[in-house]
Amino acid sequence: MLKANSLTKNFNSNIALNSVSLSVSQGEIYCLLGANGAGKTTLINHFLGFLKPTSGEVLVNGKCVTSNPLDTKRDIAYIPENVMLYGVLTGLENLEYFSALATGRKKPRDVLRKLLADVGLPAEAAERRVATYSKGMRQKVGITIAMAKNAKALLLDEPTSGLDPKAANEFSRLLKTASENGVAVFTTTHDLFHAKETGNRIGIMRSGSLLAEFNSDDVSHADMESIYLKNMRD
Amino acid sequence: MKSFSLILRNEWRIMIADKSLILVCTLLTLLLSYGFFIGLSEAVSRDERVRELVSQQERGQSGIVEQIQRIVSGHEKPDVFANPLNPALVGSGLGSLYAIMHSGALSPLALGQSDLLPDHYRVSTRNKTTFMYQTENESPWNLLTGRFDPVFVLVYLLPLFIFAISYNLLSSEKEQGTLRMQLSHPVTLQTLMFGKLFARLVPVLGVTILAVIVPFLILRGDAVMVSGQLPHLVVAIIIIGAYGFFWFAVTLFVNSFGFSSASNALILVGTWVFLVLVAPVLLNVFVSRMSPAPSRIELATETRLITIDGLNRYHELLSSDYRHIKDSSMLVPSDGKFEVPERLQAFYLINKAVDEKIETLLGDFESRLRAQQDLVERFGFVSPSVLTYEGLVSLAGTGTRRYQDFKQQVNDYHREWKEFFEPRIMSGQIVTVADFEKLPRFTWQEPDVSILLAGSLAKALQIFLATVVLFALGFMRLAKVDVL
Ligand SMILES: Nc1ncnc2c1ncn2[C@@H]1O[C@H](COP(=O)(O)OP(=O)(O)OP(=O)(O)O)[C@@H](O)[C@H]1O
Ligand SMILES: [Mg+2]
Repeated sequence: MLKANSLTKNFNSNIALNSVSLSVSQGEIYCLLGANGAGKTTLINHFLGFLKPTSGEVLVNGKCVTSNPLDTKRDIAYIPENVMLYGVLTGLENLEYFSALATGRKKPRDVLRKLLADVGLPAEAAERRVATYSKGMRQKVGITIAMAKNAKALLLDEPTSGLDPKAANEFSRLLKTASENGVAVFTTTHDLFHAKETGNRIGIMRSGSLLAEFNSDDVSHADMESIYLKNMRD
Repeated sequence: MKSFSLILRNEWRIMIADKSLILVCTLLTLLLSYGFFIGLSEAVSRDERVRELVSQQERGQSGIVEQIQRIVSGHEKPDVFANPLNPALVGSGLGSLYAIMHSGALSPLALGQSDLLPDHYRVSTRNKTTFMYQTENESPWNLLTGRFDPVFVLVYLLPLFIFAISYNLLSSEKEQGTLRMQLSHPVTLQTLMFGKLFARLVPVLGVTILAVIVPFLILRGDAVMVSGQLPHLVVAIIIIGAYGFFWFAVTLFVNSFGFSSASNALILVGTWVFLVLVAPVLLNVFVSRMSPAPSRIELATETRLITIDGLNRYHELLSSDYRHIKDSSMLVPSDGKFEVPERLQAFYLINKAVDEKIETLLGDFESRLRAQQDLVERFGFVSPSVLTYEGLVSLAGTGTRRYQDFKQQVNDYHREWKEFFEPRIMSGQIVTVADFEKLPRFTWQEPDVSILLAGSLAKALQIFLATVVLFALGFMRLAKVDVL
């Protein structure tokens, strides 16, 4: 569903991605680990078409992102590290707009209210201006927007940043349900535990190179940590 | 298309929530209404003044007619210096009539030249410089006069309001982080930007146009209809629309480079300063280089010389005796004949000679003014502000061109007036009551409407062309802009 073929990206002299190849198939949850500045967000930006590859290509549902920018965006939902919304509108109004933009259809407000309640946003907050929200509350609206899109693939850039443990846990469950429904999930994270718990496949990245890839079932929590640290050294 | 209307409605929701749209629309309405109020009160007081002059003139005329009747029937003895039977006196002032150019129905739109150039002259047998070339400015054409009228609000302030609500069209989305949220969905940056732009353009231009039309239809509707100037109003709206589109196109174009909000604001204000303030001045400089303004001082000197020359030539006639002053029986006609004092005949001839001599001088003077106006029109494309100002002012009937046409018509009327009086003065025929009915009267002939409308539409078209080019360039640039 999501595929990168020897993707390389240079920012002037800085090599942000160095011939990265990976793929995420339907029903799979892929967790990408890596230090700050490893190139995780840069990779996601390629899937969204925000950046053009220096060489190589990225495919969504078999279609090249560069040549089908609109089509490929129909198939992916995205949650950034910092969900940014219109501060003067309420959470509900933001959700109404973004989900209509995502699907081309306006959903009834009651349905939208229910979706917000499902991710744990208080009913009272949904009718408040987003300017008054905490980061986690915005993140929850972002999650709702992504879920309401019913896309074939989810692109998540540290989606749980700012979420409290309970909400993070609920989010993990949401991801599992999505993957059971055949959604391909690609997520970046700094949380090894979370990666091991929710991910099927785990990748480790450093300085733009994908150094290791393995199935989460094949390793224990303790192995995870040592593999990660080993790849961060030398 | 669906995303477009979605974006449009979401923008409205945002701008209503943050009150920016309401603020801009209210201020624009207030300023335009105030401008209209000033324009209207100027127009009304001008019309009032003209009405007053006409009624004064009519009262004067009928007073003279009655006096003639009394003198002819022997009930009154005429006064030497104000004898209403004397054609030389009637023609040179006693019976003078006003040549009046009525204000156009749309004149509240723009004061234009109306506070610089006269809209009436009191025509007599005396030479033109005595009633036409005294009160005017050194350079009677000027661009963008800084008076507060609707045209001032439209030309100067409308662009600033447009900037205020759209200078950060793209940059604010980028800075807030909402851009990537939206572009992760199947929508192009172009759709997003044009949606956001039209969400502003439609209400701002809608309010602007309504704030221009509605007061006209309410307070000036009859005048507009009676004078058949509805097409003028429509063309004025087209120009205003084109001008508004132009400035929105400028903001889109500047935004399409993806600079920060602060840079956008700076670039836009710079563009405004150049197009609205500097370009018209440069055009002025250029025009006066190409076709130097005729000097009024030179004109005055020449006129004086010619007059002195005339005085010398008719010296003999002028020094004729003053016997009629003592012998008042000469003031009363016999058989419709009347001895016009030679002094007055000389006076008429001097003026006639002066008129003939300065004809080429004045013709040159006028044609230089026309040449300047031609240049302004030809090179108006340097700035849409010049095009808009010139277009609206000419539609309002306060443009240089109309005043020049007025002078031309007064010129013809002056000749007609002199032709009426000359035989009477030279052969000494008394002025009769019947003559008063036959006096040549001035009626202002509105210049060809189709030329005016076509010229104004051509200006709108030039602005539209610039707009289309900017929209196209902005559209193309947006495809390349860095969205991160
Ligand atoms: N638009 C850009 N222009 C120039 N350099 C960039 C740009 N975006 C990213 N980079 C560089 O590319 C490298 C990878 O950055 P990236 O944001 O992908 O890291 P990351 O793995 O997401 O880090 P983090 O864990 O902090 O989110 C960094 O060195 C960064 O400086
Ligand atoms: Mg990142």
